[in-house]
Amino acid sequence: MRLRATKTKWIAAALLLAPIAASAQPPKPAPGNTNPLGHSEQAIEQGREIFNHNCTVCHGLNGAAGDRGPALGAGRDYSRRKDQAIFDAIQSGIPGTNMPPSGLQPMDIWKVVAYIRSLRATASEAFVPGDVAQGERIFWSKGRCSECHMIRGRGRIVGPDLSNIGGEEPLSVLRDSLTKAKPQIPRGYRPVEVVTADGRRLSGIAKNDNNFSLQLLDNQGRLELFTRDELREVAYGKRSLMPSDFETTLTPAELQDLLAFLSRQAIQGSERPEDSDEEQP
Amino acid sequence: MTRFVRPFGLLTLLLLPVVAQVTYQDLVRADPNNWLTYSGPYNGQRHSLLKQINKGNVKTLVTKWIYHVQRADHLESVPIVVDGVMYLTQPNEVYALDGRTGRLIWRYRHQPPLGKGPNRGAAVYGNRVYFTTPDAWLVALDARTGNFLWQSKIAEFKDGFWSPAAPLVLKGKIIVGVAPGDYGMNGFLAAYDASTGERLWRWDAIPKPGEPGSATWAGDSWKTGGGDTWLTGSYDPDLNLIYWGIGNPAPDFNGDLRKGDNLYTECMVALDADTGKMKWHFQFTPHDTADWDAVEIPVLVDAPFHGQTRKLLVQANRNGFYYVLDRTNGKFLHGTPFVQSVNWAKGLTPEGRPILVPGVEPSLKGTKICPSTSGATNWMSPAYDPDTSLYYVAALEGCGINTKSYEKFRPGGFSFDATGYIESPEEPRQSYVRALDLTSGKLVWEFQQIGSTEYGAGLLSTAGGLIFAGCDQGIFTALDARTGQPLWHFNTGQAITASPITYSFKGRQYVAVEAGSDVVSFGLFGEN
Repeated sequence: MRLRATKTKWIAAALLLAPIAASAQPPKPAPGNTNPLGHSEQAIEQGREIFNHNCTVCHGLNGAAGDRGPALGAGRDYSRRKDQAIFDAIQSGIPGTNMPPSGLQPMDIWKVVAYIRSLRATASEAFVPGDVAQGERIFWSKGRCSECHMIRGRGRIVGPDLSNIGGEEPLSVLRDSLTKAKPQIPRGYRPVEVVTADGRRLSGIAKNDNNFSLQLLDNQGRLELFTRDELREVAYGKRSLMPSDFETTLTPAELQDLLAFLSRQAIQGSERPEDSDEEQP
Repeated sequence: MTRFVRPFGLLTLLLLPVVAQVTYQDLVRADPNNWLTYSGPYNGQRHSLLKQINKGNVKTLVTKWIYHVQRADHLESVPIVVDGVMYLTQPNEVYALDGRTGRLIWRYRHQPPLGKGPNRGAAVYGNRVYFTTPDAWLVALDARTGNFLWQSKIAEFKDGFWSPAAPLVLKGKIIVGVAPGDYGMNGFLAAYDASTGERLWRWDAIPKPGEPGSATWAGDSWKTGGGDTWLTGSYDPDLNLIYWGIGNPAPDFNGDLRKGDNLYTECMVALDADTGKMKWHFQFTPHDTADWDAVEIPVLVDAPFHGQTRKLLVQANRNGFYYVLDRTNGKFLHGTPFVQSVNWAKGLTPEGRPILVPGVEPSLKGTKICPSTSGATNWMSPAYDPDTSLYYVAALEGCGINTKSYEKFRPGGFSFDATGYIESPEEPRQSYVRALDLTSGKLVWEFQQIGSTEYGAGLLSTAGGLIFAGCDQGIFTALDARTGQPLWHFNTGQAITASPITYSFKGRQYVAVEAGSDVVSFGLFGEN
């Protein structure tokens, strides 16, 4: 499932289940790391300051979208993923676009490179401290995450699959998912109860809906497909099922352990070829 | 403190065990309301017993919905339909749609999305959906949500392998094939445990020295022999045999570099489904030098042959001949050309071996060879209607000019063609739908796809007396199965390079086909 905007807003609660050892995997190194400054916190912070002072004529503050330049840390595949490619674009500009040469000194450019890479790094590419094994126990027990979520076929299917959450999202998104309230119920995860024209009452999740049809994942785990004229009543849940109070229900150490565990949830597939710098289809 | 909103008792969600959605018995029974494998029933006939849409009312067929697949170019997959849910693929992606409305239920995207297409479809078993990827992984998903379950590496992407064929699922096993033989990669078939992803057996298409068939490869040529498995096979549950067509030898166009018959390239093979052991093989084009992969769908029919009911396997081969085999032992029973453009063989021996025309092979200057390398047919599926006893095939007339060179193999996924071909300008290509008598292969009728010179669209037969066909002009057509007369057509606006299906949900029959970047589903006017 690739409902990027929704997945991380739904890390939720759960049943007592045994830990799964296979799901804990070391973070993958980011591809194409050639920055002579590395990716230290100091370089990243200095890069952020340089970026905000020099690049925000077009780009937005802290890598957000600006009036004339795109966001640099949004959830999409970028055509320039390697340090050197980003460096070259900052130093020389991008022909055929509004991106000019920056005029920055090379060491400052490398700091900006470190900052931009930090914006894009998924949680599995970052070093997330914490006790992974303890985080795993929290996921399946005290955190009650698996009551709604699934990892590699274990858990439940109310909320988004978390098998690749660390491979898809940055750490900041994971943290926000656990600690900040969600004003919107993401599409595909809205609770709904329906009464069919022949009187059956079903509840579950609306995987999709519009004026004319509703695709329901019911509480028996069945997909029920309706046209609206087959439904007598439809009532939607008003609030997200995803709790946002993990800062109070878990200790700071437990929350960090849970983040460490979630950041390791990355599907290990083929390695991108080193010379692959094109935007993926 | 109550941490959860419980407006609808959602905490009970999925606490109950879920009954398996698709069982092996379901696949054998092949309920016509569903479309459960790439070719429909295991027998590869692509014949549906549904007849709500029939010769009498097909003129009122209308579009019910269109689903646009983002980033798609020319879809080549065959959707699977289970209880109204349609599962379709494009390279690296699986979609679950409401088959009645075309509304998205879930989508899965394989990461990283390396490699190119095509992808020809998914398989379903239990509550799982399986598909293979351009970087040669087998992926298992939860059919209800698209949740990731596991993935198993089929072959090494860095070496040049990928896996375009829809998996074939049977008795708890997922059967997968690979491409490309054109890179000099040796093909194989492999079975994986449907629950765990563990590999259960593997059958190699190219025998190693000392193994039966190895004497058909000169020197070390077997090491880069090709023989891939890029289109889904068929299955006989009673015989427990998998039938799968094997691709061309490599290098494609220079046979000097691999003297011999080059087994088991260009073969139909029958494998024991439990062990992967080969029971028999039949080679259509020994020592092929025209890249005529023999992967075309094997169609299994029990029918009288010379007065005796036989278990037949028929295939219209890319080399221009239609073959009738005994599928219990691979014995050749009959063969005849199904296109006029055949110049490489004068006929077939009583054993089914081609009687070659001397000199019709690739040369340094170029030689005209008919059919062209594109083939007299290709991945587009045929169909068989037991009511008419006719076999239907998307046929292409045309020739090519083939050349050869002395290219050397390079590891890492490079083309190992030893040159190639162009379509002959003297014999313009023309596509047809042809109906052949099952056992004689004689032409009963043909429907010329005027203006269509490219192939891609397969066929569907229904008990409504209809054959559905597409073409590169984007026209989707319903033909009278007995006469070939066109009864209805629709301009989809994009080239059709996939094979149509039919299914039924809540009492209404639908016919669906992928056209270009879209999936289009049709039903009778006035019905939901």
